[in-house]
Amino acid sequence: MIINALASFRLTLTNMPDAQRHPFLQGLSKHRGAPPTVVVIFGASGDLTARKLIPAVFNLGYDNLLPADFFLLGFGRKPIPDDEFRKVAADSIKEFSRRELNADVWDRIAAATSYVAGGYDERAAFDRLAKHISAIETKIGREVQTLFYISTPPSVFAPILLNLGASGLAARYLGHRHQAKVIIEKPFGRDLASARALNATIRSVFEEDQVYRIDHYLGKETVQDLLVQRFANAIFEPLWNRNFVDSVQITVAEEVGVGTRGGYYEQSGALRDMIQNHTMQLVALTAMEPPVSLDAEAVRDEKVKVLKSIQPLRIGSGGDVVRAQYAEGMMGGKQVKGYLQEDGINPQSATETYAAMRLSINNWRWQGVPFYIRSGKHLAHRVSEIAIQFKRPPGTLFAESDRFNLAANTLAFQIQPDEGLSLVLNGKVPGLETRMQPVKMNFRYSTTFGSNTPEAYERLVLDAMIGDGTLFIRGDEAETSWALYTPVVEAWAAAGREGMESYASGSWGPAGADALLAAGKHAWRQP
Amino acid sequence: MAAIFNALPGIEVPVGSINKSLAQLWEDTAAKGGPAPASDDGKATQVNFVLHLGFKTTVEDAVEQFQIAVNFSKRSPCRVVVLCPLPIYDPGTEMRAKIYGECHLGKTKGDTRCCEFVLLSYPFAARQYLESQLSVCLITDLPLYYWVHRFAAIHRLNDYQYLLRRSERILYDSAIADAEILSFAWPRPGAVHDLVYARLLPVRQSIGQLLSGYETAALISGLRAVTVTQGETLTAEGRVLLDWTRERLAGCGPLQNVVFDRQVVADSSLRLDFKYDNGHSFGWHGDLARKNACIEANFGAGRSALHIAVNLLTPDAALSDAMFF
Repeated sequence: MIINALASFRLTLTNMPDAQRHPFLQGLSKHRGAPPTVVVIFGASGDLTARKLIPAVFNLGYDNLLPADFFLLGFGRKPIPDDEFRKVAADSIKEFSRRELNADVWDRIAAATSYVAGGYDERAAFDRLAKHISAIETKIGREVQTLFYISTPPSVFAPILLNLGASGLAARYLGHRHQAKVIIEKPFGRDLASARALNATIRSVFEEDQVYRIDHYLGKETVQDLLVQRFANAIFEPLWNRNFVDSVQITVAEEVGVGTRGGYYEQSGALRDMIQNHTMQLVALTAMEPPVSLDAEAVRDEKVKVLKSIQPLRIGSGGDVVRAQYAEGMMGGKQVKGYLQEDGINPQSATETYAAMRLSINNWRWQGVPFYIRSGKHLAHRVSEIAIQFKRPPGTLFAESDRFNLAANTLAFQIQPDEGLSLVLNGKVPGLETRMQPVKMNFRYSTTFGSNTPEAYERLVLDAMIGDGTLFIRGDEAETSWALYTPVVEAWAAAGREGMESYASGSWGPAGADALLAAGKHAWRQP
Repeated sequence: MAAIFNALPGIEVPVGSINKSLAQLWEDTAAKGGPAPASDDGKATQVNFVLHLGFKTTVEDAVEQFQIAVNFSKRSPCRVVVLCPLPIYDPGTEMRAKIYGECHLGKTKGDTRCCEFVLLSYPFAARQYLESQLSVCLITDLPLYYWVHRFAAIHRLNDYQYLLRRSERILYDSAIADAEILSFAWPRPGAVHDLVYARLLPVRQSIGQLLSGYETAALISGLRAVTVTQGETLTAEGRVLLDWTRERLAGCGPLQNVVFDRQVVADSSLRLDFKYDNGHSFGWHGDLARKNACIEANFGAGRSALHIAVNLLTPDAALSDAMFF
């Protein structure tokens, strides 16, 4: 075949200096150099596909970032004619894309879009899929890389992975730039044992550098900006340690309740749904040491190191963890039901809709600095942020609290909505007397760079296409996070409803969470 | 050039109170209920951008370039300074200034972004004072970009050394500039970017994506001729494409006896063809009027063809690419 050319180019080439890239890619952004690609979506008729994946593909096409040889294949149990799949895809763009459907762009993608029906445990269906991909190669006369996107319930992860292996699809062009790749959606297990089992299944079929465990938080601009702010600005990193930082708060708050997802949520809860994955990624990026490079492995090595430095959580009264369920309350001025009154929820449910933790990172940089994290549903408003609260200045120069309204300097990265960052400083109130007031400096992405910035899935799908795993989770990261939280989920499971607190819908969480911080003379922000 | 200054939009203000007048402009707008940075947190200027209109600029052309700068500011909020020199023979001795502001409404109030323009008309003899006057129009600490447009005499750029030396990037369009610009001794050649090269990004990308799939040795083995065929209006694009191709192929290995040439045709096509003596072939054939192209390749495994959509970058997108990438 034609392209055997690139056998010597391993995946890390995406981060190599420009001069070491193929001469015909030099001078082009790495994101403009994707090889011919077939994206296969498992779970093609699912909600994520409609809301995020198809719009992401469309917007990549709009921005001319897809390779010229690009093909989209839906795979699912339900037989769907190609035309209908294309129509449903177009409808999802109309409904969910950040840009309006552009006929020229979509027609090009639609012409290369098709659907393969089959069971996830049906080996013959994967053989059909392999033939379909081979037919594409034959038609265009070039080899293509296959990017498998597993967007299904976790119960079928294993059969899909195993059939990708058995059909030979997983090993396509292994070791080449255009080797097969797989994106896997969370959850990466329900506990340490299941995470290990999933990783074992993955590794029985794929090499680690073919695997892209996706956490869409890592594709958000502010999360990526966190690394830039930390390591590209000389003013922050010298302060980024126990000598200057008083505490760190990470909040992932949702306004919505469980809605129609009660069945799913009962099996999950706030810890599995948010804390173990999204929130821990934010902890890792905030607390990790500077990587030796921006190479995927260097960044992920540092993330794993800091996750391993977190002390085991103390469970029980006076411990490090709090869980709660939302009770009835007011959301947006309207009375809403409590969790136990929601449809599909066991009235005796022991599933938490809110979890808060106090993490202690036992390393040179962070010893003694508490990392408070919380996530919950039906909270006061939707916001995700990382807030670094600095220590107060020494001395008594401005110690009279009635004259000097001194605030702690706080650097807050707002991840959603209104991505941006703010810094709280103390300033003098104009006037003859010296009085002070906190002032806030704001930087908003939408204001500075426009609101039409790429969505997380666009960035992440394209990164996988070009083989850059920096913003994806490595297998040992998932396992390390589960090693921390498995004792918690086991203890909560054993305790049933004992120790479960409640909080009014529309509030910022239960009293126990406030007490968790009060013990360290801290208080939750109300972002 | 006074005609240009008069034709461009804006409110004429004293040169000595440009910044004060800009602040007043926004306050007045806000007082009337219009969008303004003070009320909407909408101004987030990140770039100083100087558009220098040369003597070959016509009024219509100036208005067009001004609009390109406006469109660009929707992508990257910036402080734009438009420099309009008065002709050498113009008896004027005073500088004149205009200010102009524009807000772009987004989907939400938080998406509103406002940009500011300062237009400076200056007597040619006063160019030695321009640096100081310009400095008060720029926003401190932000990077400076300099766009040179239709200078009648390229050597006059030497009068603006501070702009050539201070700017992060200097942009020009070799499709409309005097050929002299290609040999101008820029003080920082690495900072100089040709907008034609930026406009060709989709072409370079489609060629680069495809050819990067082949071993470098396969691309130059047996290569005898590289030909760019261009429409009459695409002379600069043809030249830049050929230069780029030559440079990329040279990166693949030593080139021996390869002929590089350009041919002109009377349509809107842009074509790149590689001729080999070993049966291999490569061709990128674009019809920019119809916004499509066909790539044909045969590097030993039979001929393959790929039809793609292709279009040169729009002027504001080309500015953005040339400035930031």
